[in-house]
Amino acid sequence: MEDTLISLMHGFGIAFQLDNLWYAFLGCLVGTLVGVLPGIGPLSGISILLPVTFGLSATQAVIMLAGIYYGSQYGGSTTSILMRIPGEASSVMTCIDGNAMAKKGRAGAALCIAAVGSWVAGTFGVIMLTMVAPPLATIALKFGPPEYTALLILGLIFLAYMSSTSLVRTLLMACIGLLLGMVGIDNMTGHFRYSFDFAELGDGIGIVPVAVGLFGLGEILSTPSHKVVGEVITPKFRELLPNRLEWLQSIMPIARGSVLGFIIGIIPGSAHIISSFLSYALEKKVSKHPEEFGHGAVAGVAGPESANNSASTGAFVPMLALGIPTGPITAVLMGALMVHGVNPGPQLVTEHPDVFWGFVASMYVGNLMLLALNLPLVGLFVTVLRIPYAYLYPLIIMFCIVGVYEVSHSVVDVWIMLIMGLLGYGLRKFAFDPAPLVLGLVIAPLFEQSLRQSLIMSNGDYLIFFSRPISLGLLIVCGILLALSTLTFILKRKDWREKLAEAEAGEIEL
Amino acid sequence: MTLRADHVAGAAFIVFGLLVLALSGDLPTGQLSMPGSGFLPKIIATMTIVFGAALVLRARESVPYSDLDWGDGKHAALVTVITAAAIYLYTWLGFIITMVLLMMALLLVVERRNPVRAGIYSAAVVLFTYVCFAWLLKTPLPEYGY
Repeated sequence: MEDTLISLMHGFGIAFQLDNLWYAFLGCLVGTLVGVLPGIGPLSGISILLPVTFGLSATQAVIMLAGIYYGSQYGGSTTSILMRIPGEASSVMTCIDGNAMAKKGRAGAALCIAAVGSWVAGTFGVIMLTMVAPPLATIALKFGPPEYTALLILGLIFLAYMSSTSLVRTLLMACIGLLLGMVGIDNMTGHFRYSFDFAELGDGIGIVPVAVGLFGLGEILSTPSHKVVGEVITPKFRELLPNRLEWLQSIMPIARGSVLGFIIGIIPGSAHIISSFLSYALEKKVSKHPEEFGHGAVAGVAGPESANNSASTGAFVPMLALGIPTGPITAVLMGALMVHGVNPGPQLVTEHPDVFWGFVASMYVGNLMLLALNLPLVGLFVTVLRIPYAYLYPLIIMFCIVGVYEVSHSVVDVWIMLIMGLLGYGLRKFAFDPAPLVLGLVIAPLFEQSLRQSLIMSNGDYLIFFSRPISLGLLIVCGILLALSTLTFILKRKDWREKLAEAEAGEIEL
Repeated sequence: MTLRADHVAGAAFIVFGLLVLALSGDLPTGQLSMPGSGFLPKIIATMTIVFGAALVLRARESVPYSDLDWGDGKHAALVTVITAAAIYLYTWLGFIITMVLLMMALLLVVERRNPVRAGIYSAAVVLFTYVCFAWLLKTPLPEYGY
C-alpha cells in the first residue's frame, strides 16, 4: 500500500506538469463536446483524434484520449437532460428522468446532480483502479498463453451474454472482427493472408479506419438531418444548484451507482453502457417511491450517471493490468499506446511506471476539471447544441477523412473507412451492433498467437486449457454463461437482457 | 413464406464465410501441434457459417424484409458518392480544395442549403482546420499536386 501511495505521488508529479495538464484539459473539453453532440460518440471522437496524438509522448497521448473517453460520459448527460436525446449510448437512461426534471424547471439541478455524481463515481473508480490494477498485474504475470486464450474467449462470451442483442448476432460480429484482424502477414509463418496483392494490407487492417468508418461515417449515413430535431431547454445559471431534498435523494444512488458501475466496468468484454441500465433498474427496485421514475426522479439521474462514469474508469483496469480491452474504446486506447511503443499489460506498471502512474493521477485531475467545466460552461454547450446537424456532419466527414489519412498517409485506409461506413449502415439496418466487431479486430492478433502458442506448448493437446487452474476457471465461467443463454433460448422466455433492450426502445417500463 | 430480415442477413454471412474458406484454400492448416496460418481463419469462417445458419433458422423472430425502412437510403447513397469523390481527389487536389468541394457538395446537393452561406461556412471551416492542423498541431496536410 505504501509503495502504491509513493508511486501515485510520483504520478501526480507527472500529471501536474504543464503540458500534461494542458492535454488533460484538452481531452476533457473535447470529450465533453463529443458527449454533448449527438451522432458522435466517444469511440469516433477518440478514433478521429488518434492521429493527432502521434506527435505526442505516450503519456500525453493516453492522458488526452482517456480524457475524451470519460469526458464524454459527463457531456452525454447534458444533451439527455436538455433535449431528451442521448449524447452518447450510456446516457440513454438519463434522458427519461433528466428531461422530466428539466420540464419541471429543474434542469440546472439535474445537470448539477449528474455532474457531481459523475465526479464522485469517477473519483471512486480511479481510487479503486489505483488499488486494484497493480496487484492484478502481479497476478497476471502468472498468465501464460492458455490463460490469455481462455480470458479472451471469456471476454467475447461475456460481451455476447451482456449484449441486449442476441448471443448469435454478437458472436457473428465478433467472428467478422476476428477475420478482419487476420488480414495481413501471419506473424508466426510470414504468409500473406487476404491482402489481394495490396502492399498496404500487408500490415493488416488498422483499427482507426474500421472504428471511424463503423461508428463515425456509419452513423452519419443512417441519420439524415431531418431526423435530428429537438427543443433545447436552457437552464438559468442561478438555478444550477439542487435543493437540500434533491441532494439527500441523490446520495445513496450515487454510492450504489459507483460500486455497480465499477464492477461492470472491470469485467473484460462487458459493454459498460449496461451499467446505466442496471443502475436505473436497481434504483427503481429499491426506491420507496418507484412511481416517481419516469416523471423526474432524482435517483433516475444520479444512479445511472454515476454508474456509467465509474464503469468507464473500471474499464481501464483490465486494459492496463492485463492488456485486455474491455470494449472497442479501450481497444482503441490500447492501439494508441502500442503506436507509441508501449504495450499495455502486466509489465506496464514496472516497465513504464511514468505512463501508468501519470495516467492514473491525471484521471483524478481530469475528473476535477470536468466538474469545473460542465456546470459553468453549460451555456456554451447549449449554444453548440443549437448548431444545425446539417452543418455539423460535413465537418465530421472532413475530420474522418483527414484523421484516417494522417495515421499512415495511406489512401487505402480511407477507402477502408468508407467501406466500413457502408457496412456500419447495413449492420444498423439489420439490427446488428458493430461494437463486438471492433473488439474482435483488436484481440485477433493476441488471440491467435496465444491459441497457437498454447497448442504448440502442449504438442497439439487441447486439454491444456482444462489442465491449468486459471484457464479452467475462466472456461467454466464461459460454460455457465453459455448455459444460461441456452436455457433462455430453450424456455423461450424473455430474460433481463431482452427486457432492458425493450426498455431502451421505450416499449416497456423497467 | 415471408422473407425476413434475418433470412437476408444470415444468408449474407453464410456466403461471406464460404468466400473466406474459398480464399483460404492455399493457406496451410497445419496440425494441432503446429497450427498453420490457415488454422484459425478456417475455424472462424466455419463458425460464421454456423452462426449465419442459426440466424436463418431463427429468422421468424425478425421483422419482414419489406418492413425495413430504407427512407434514409437516398441520403446514404448521396453522402457515399460525394465522400468517395473526395477521397479520390484528396491526394491530387490537396486538403483545402478537396474539403471545400466536399462540404459545399454535401450542403448544396444533400442538404439544399443557401449557396452563399454554404460557401462561406465551408471556406471558413476548412481554412480554420488547416491552420489548426498545419500550424498548431504541426501535422502537415496534403497540398495541391501532392
